[in-house]
Amino acid sequence: MPRLTARERREGYQREYAFQQRHGKPFFPHVVFHDTIVSLIVVALIMGITVLWYAQFGAIPTDPMAERTGGLLGPAYEAKADPGVLGYHPQPDWYFFFLFELLRIFKTPQLLIVGTIIIPTIWMVLLIGWPFIDRNPDRRLSRRPIALSIGVMVPIVLLTLTFYGSKVPAEGGVASTEPGAAAFAAGACSTCHVLANAGTAGNVGPVLDEAKPDYATALALITNGQGSMPSFKATYTEDEISCLAGYVATWSAAVGTTPGPGAATAKDYPASCEKAGGIFAGTPSSAAGP
Amino acid sequence: MSTLLPPPKELAMLPVDWVEERSGAISFGKFMLFRNVPKDISWLQTLGSALITVFILQATTGIILAMYYQPTPETAWMTIQWITNEATLGWLVRGMHKWGSSVMVVLLFLHMGRTFLFGAYKYPREMTWITGAIIFILVMGMSFTGYLLVFDERAYWATIVGVNINGTAPILGPALSYILMVGPEIGTHTLSRFYSLHMLVLPSAIGGLIFLHMLLVVRLGVTSPPWSRMEPTERDV
Ligand code: HEM
Repeated sequence: MPRLTARERREGYQREYAFQQRHGKPFFPHVVFHDTIVSLIVVALIMGITVLWYAQFGAIPTDPMAERTGGLLGPAYEAKADPGVLGYHPQPDWYFFFLFELLRIFKTPQLLIVGTIIIPTIWMVLLIGWPFIDRNPDRRLSRRPIALSIGVMVPIVLLTLTFYGSKVPAEGGVASTEPGAAAFAAGACSTCHVLANAGTAGNVGPVLDEAKPDYATALALITNGQGSMPSFKATYTEDEISCLAGYVATWSAAVGTTPGPGAATAKDYPASCEKAGGIFAGTPSSAAGP
Repeated sequence: MSTLLPPPKELAMLPVDWVEERSGAISFGKFMLFRNVPKDISWLQTLGSALITVFILQATTGIILAMYYQPTPETAWMTIQWITNEATLGWLVRGMHKWGSSVMVVLLFLHMGRTFLFGAYKYPREMTWITGAIIFILVMGMSFTGYLLVFDERAYWATIVGVNINGTAPILGPALSYILMVGPEIGTHTLSRFYSLHMLVLPSAIGGLIFLHMLLVVRLGVTSPPWSRMEPTERDV
């Protein structure tokens, strides 16, 4: 068969399609019939899920500020958002789980941008530009081995990321009785960070036992946030932040054989914890939440 | 007298003819209904119209929700609670809006997969794919902005992480976070900004792009499946 020029191929396609259309069937009733059936099924499905979702909840809670949960398909609503509350629970809707998982994979500050910006941007550019990337004119799958493998790989990768992204961070061990440990374990920090002394196993942010931030770094990070870590200025008082920063600097440095740089600067952090009081003061376990 | 009035049948057609003469709406409708599509078109090609249905459903339930919802940190959660617990069938409207968004994302993936496997993005339908891809990204934006509106614990913290993700972008990142949140923290203005994006900016952009998408689909016709074996013969060419 002689090789066709691009122009001849385009004209060939137009001829072929014109033929198919001439020998086709009218939109009404054929397509309209199929479309209507599928649309009805989809609307019924949405209603069905909604009924399932709602049927799971018990009576309306008597406490007007309480969450309404208990459903297989997730809560009707959780408790009202309150920046001053310890219950840190950053779970996105399922279609962002893949992004959440990328965030976990590239969790160190230097690599974070790969997961948050670089990969999603590349993905969007490839998605929009795809018709210009795949220049193979053939439509039959047997003649599109590369496109077919990409078409199989992408869903597998996305589904895998979504699956792992859906997993709640692992449960940790028991917090020590050092000042700050209970607050670290019960509060926001534990959701994202591993710190052996606090017995936490959060896997969103860097492993603090390895990162070993010094006191000043920890203080700045907790106060202002960085990357995907939020600022806790509104959540904790100055003393509380100072207590947490000192705790993190001291006990991450204590892990392993070479002491990190943090220990020396943060020796007197228990004073801040004492001033902050409550769960920060280091009264053991009873305060450490689930 | 009777000669002054046309016969009843023609009389009934008068408004129709009036509209047709001035707008061409009737012949346009006839063209839309009776234009030909390839003979071997398949069930997989109904996903696009299902997406239009879900979009209309989201718009309708969204409008109803907007009649009760108040986007301030003090009232947002309360009004959501009221809609779910007290309003007549409020749970159904809110639930269908909530789950409709998930179904829409699933349908988007399926529809995208179908056009991918059919090679339907190839000449001459490249622009159909591009408009679709932009719609897809905007729909993700809808999900992101809609999630905060419930203003419960999960929504609040997930949005902070989401905004911080934007914030890691070089140069523009911090400014983008600041613009999204209208300041350094989530507050009154964040909520109304997200609400305005969610119910005005993004839906009109998506609606406009769906219109373009459909214009292209009608103009170019839908592809027949790639396994189709209809080749034009000499006589047809
Ligand atoms: C709300 C979103 C969307 C709506 C309402 C929509 C609607 C439609 C409809 C009604 C068709 C006619 C054929 C069919 O149903 O399969 C179609 C075709 C098409 N769509 Fe979409 N679509 C959407 C999103 C997308 C996305 C995200 C993509 C790809 C990135 C896409 C790419 C295409 C292509 C390439 C065609 C041509 C298919 C052919 O001619 O066989 N669409 N769309």
